[in-house]
Amino acid sequence: MIVRMSHPRNDRPRVDFHEGTLRFWNVGRDFVRKAMTGIPMAADDRDDCFRCDAVHAVALRRRLAESLAGEFDWDVVDDSFRLAFPSKESVRLRADQVEAIEAFTGADRRGLVVMPTGTGKTVVAIDLVRRFSSSTLVVVPVRDLMYQWHEKIRSATGVDAGLIGDGVHRVSPISVTTYDSAAIHMSRIGSKFRFIIFDEVHHLAGPWRSDAARMSAAEFRLGLTATLPDDPDRLSVLHELVGPTVYRQAIGDASGKTLADYHVRRITVEMSEKEAERYRELSALIQRFVHDQRQVDPSFRWEDTYKLAGQVEIDTGRATAADQALKAFRAKRRIEEHAGGKFRVLEDLFRLHAGQPVIVFTGSNVMARRISLRFLVPCLLSHCGKRERREWLEGFAAGRYPVLVANRVLDEGVDLPEVKVAIVLGGMSSRRQAIQRLGRVLRKNNRDQKAVLYEVVTEATKEIQRSRDRRRNDAYRKR
Amino acid sequence: MLRSEHCIVRYDFRRRTVHPDRLIRGRHAHYLAAMRLCLRHYRRGIGEPRQRLHRAVEETLTRLGDCPPRRTAAFCKLLDDAAEFDSDPKAAATMRQHVFTAAAPLHPIVSVREGIFEHDVQAARKIVCDSLRLTWDQIESQMFGDVIELQRLVSFDEQLDSLALLRRYNLAQTQAALYRATQVRIDARADLKTIVRHVKLARLMHRIEKSDDHPSGYRFLLDGPGSELRRTTRYGVRFAAMLPMLLACRDWSLAADLVSPRGDSMRMTLTSDDGLHSDHAAPPQHDSELEQNIETTWHRDPPSGWTMARESALLVQGQTVFTPDFVLTDEINRRRIYLEVVGYWTPEYLQAKAAKLATFRDSVGRKDRWLIMVPKGSKAEDADCLRGIEMPMVVFDKKTSPKQWIDQAFLP
Repeated sequence: MIVRMSHPRNDRPRVDFHEGTLRFWNVGRDFVRKAMTGIPMAADDRDDCFRCDAVHAVALRRRLAESLAGEFDWDVVDDSFRLAFPSKESVRLRADQVEAIEAFTGADRRGLVVMPTGTGKTVVAIDLVRRFSSSTLVVVPVRDLMYQWHEKIRSATGVDAGLIGDGVHRVSPISVTTYDSAAIHMSRIGSKFRFIIFDEVHHLAGPWRSDAARMSAAEFRLGLTATLPDDPDRLSVLHELVGPTVYRQAIGDASGKTLADYHVRRITVEMSEKEAERYRELSALIQRFVHDQRQVDPSFRWEDTYKLAGQVEIDTGRATAADQALKAFRAKRRIEEHAGGKFRVLEDLFRLHAGQPVIVFTGSNVMARRISLRFLVPCLLSHCGKRERREWLEGFAAGRYPVLVANRVLDEGVDLPEVKVAIVLGGMSSRRQAIQRLGRVLRKNNRDQKAVLYEVVTEATKEIQRSRDRRRNDAYRKR
Repeated sequence: MLRSEHCIVRYDFRRRTVHPDRLIRGRHAHYLAAMRLCLRHYRRGIGEPRQRLHRAVEETLTRLGDCPPRRTAAFCKLLDDAAEFDSDPKAAATMRQHVFTAAAPLHPIVSVREGIFEHDVQAARKIVCDSLRLTWDQIESQMFGDVIELQRLVSFDEQLDSLALLRRYNLAQTQAALYRATQVRIDARADLKTIVRHVKLARLMHRIEKSDDHPSGYRFLLDGPGSELRRTTRYGVRFAAMLPMLLACRDWSLAADLVSPRGDSMRMTLTSDDGLHSDHAAPPQHDSELEQNIETTWHRDPPSGWTMARESALLVQGQTVFTPDFVLTDEINRRRIYLEVVGYWTPEYLQAKAAKLATFRDSVGRKDRWLIMVPKGSKAEDADCLRGIEMPMVVFDKKTSPKQWIDQAFLP
């Protein structure tokens, strides 16, 4: 039927889901003003209705039930999904995990659960999925994590979860997606899931990504993270879009109990004569550029270079110089990152730890591929498909591959097999990354041997400075 | 379409206007020759990895002296869009697995052997090559062949010339500017039905008003469901997707409200005469031969005082719009006939048509009338669903006179 009636067929108050918003029909302005206080609603003449974000579904329904004498139609939830768990693998939960689960269920099934990496946030979430037995959407930061959740859901419930993202669009009663895909598709799928889980919920920031939560009408909302944002504004957005902080476990509580002890060893690499010479040339070029710019504009700062490089139409000469300076800057970074000496160090560390599984973290895909090609060991990159990813992870865990190279995109939450030796090449420092990365390396039991984290940095470059920053960071501080 | 990181716009903060990057005939004439070179890089680059093609384009455009990196990246994207690259992720993944499995017992592969159990690079490569029956060059070039920048060019659009490429660039930058749009206003005076159809296809919501300054003009205010709740650029991509179609229409102007990166409200304007081109064909003048015949018959003997216009009125009910095929207007007595041609006769089509006509039956003026026209010998004539909506009907053949149509419409 082509004709879509702009007015619903009967005169009863009715709410439906429309592209991530709720349309509220057959009610008067006075009723909305009185009964819906606190729910941001707009009168919409285009559809002759009132409209609000889908995130308010629960509140709206509660208010309606409280304030309306008669009945109303609630056409928000698309409950076409039928859920069945083919198998239930029983997992013994730790006391802190039980605590987190109870805190969440006791808090209206909405809220943030803060647990350090390595304490089994996923286990908590999957247990909740099984308890609620409702259609569930899991939102994760990167594609690698999407596949990993898919795998965990399969082993815990027997369900072959749907995937939304990375070129796949299979929407099933339990589905996994990324923040970016969720922001794109939530307008269509926002009414299909009763339970929404935001893994690494601190990624739910900015107007675009927030849409992933704002456009979902899910009743049950769980946010998982190891670190809540420091910025109070960002935190209050999370509270608004997901729920209050209902459970919090500090890193100190977990370390020693569930995380292994570890050493950090820093190894510096000298640049080769050729690399150092090129590095000095590039540095000089940049210094000359900054000096020249300060002649023109004394308040010039290096950060202004990016803007300047774009202004070709306005000032071609300066823009070209800025572009060259930026290219030099990037070339310097590449020398730091790719310094040939790192391959020698890697070789020695592989020798030293021959027979032990070793994970190598790089700062870029290019470096990961170079190591993979030089040492003929698998690298886990963002372009790897689901099957290949599983082959590397399982093969590495089973000892079929001696080394696994992973680029920084895997930093957050990707579950790597248990290792005692990890090598970090030229990463950036930040508090959150440090925590996440350590959690990965230092996971689980087997306390007879301490884990080692090697950091390989290039001498006399900013990389060393960044590593120093990181060591000062509390995530590295031993107790 | 470009990605937003390719977007180049100039913001005029004093006038609060936005000007997408545009390469123009006189000032950027030297780009034509550069485009020829870039096209040649791709035409002759079959078998080359993407990153090498991009490097060649980059070198060519850097030599121009006035081509910023973003513009270069945008051209690379547009050239890639006209190309096909080889990507066989399965083959590459299979090769990787074979290589790593063959190499696993050789770990660690060292540069110089020290212990008797160690393997140096050359020896290890030989073992791997033997086990895969490939040369090292083959392995090296194919092992990461699925990585985007290493994918190899398979074919390239034969037709694309340098002028067309520049036109695509100008269009793509204007589209990219629209990614930041929160609302778009279109004032249109022709091709109304096509515009409405593409507004629907782009999944936009509309407000439609009759324009005051032009008799057959309409104003479309376009945005999306969430726009009523906050200023959002969420529907920017939808505006951009609609633009190529709009460029194929006649006689319109567009004003887009945009948000600058620092959050200011800005304005971008564009008209059908601004020289942007798209590959879209102009909308057809008639939907069918029948409509054409009806128009010819009318103009052979137009009743005095009456004029005929094709698809010139929009009837709007909420988000549903109906465009009658013809509007016959009697200017003096200020009355109109909305003439709808029912040319097909599958039962589903007739049902849908009848339902739509019924919805809009009462949304015309008191003095106005409806008229359904069906071709001679069609089953539509007897269809119950059409009779059920009680609108005057005329069976069209070339001998009927337009005067009779009008009489029929105004029968009491």
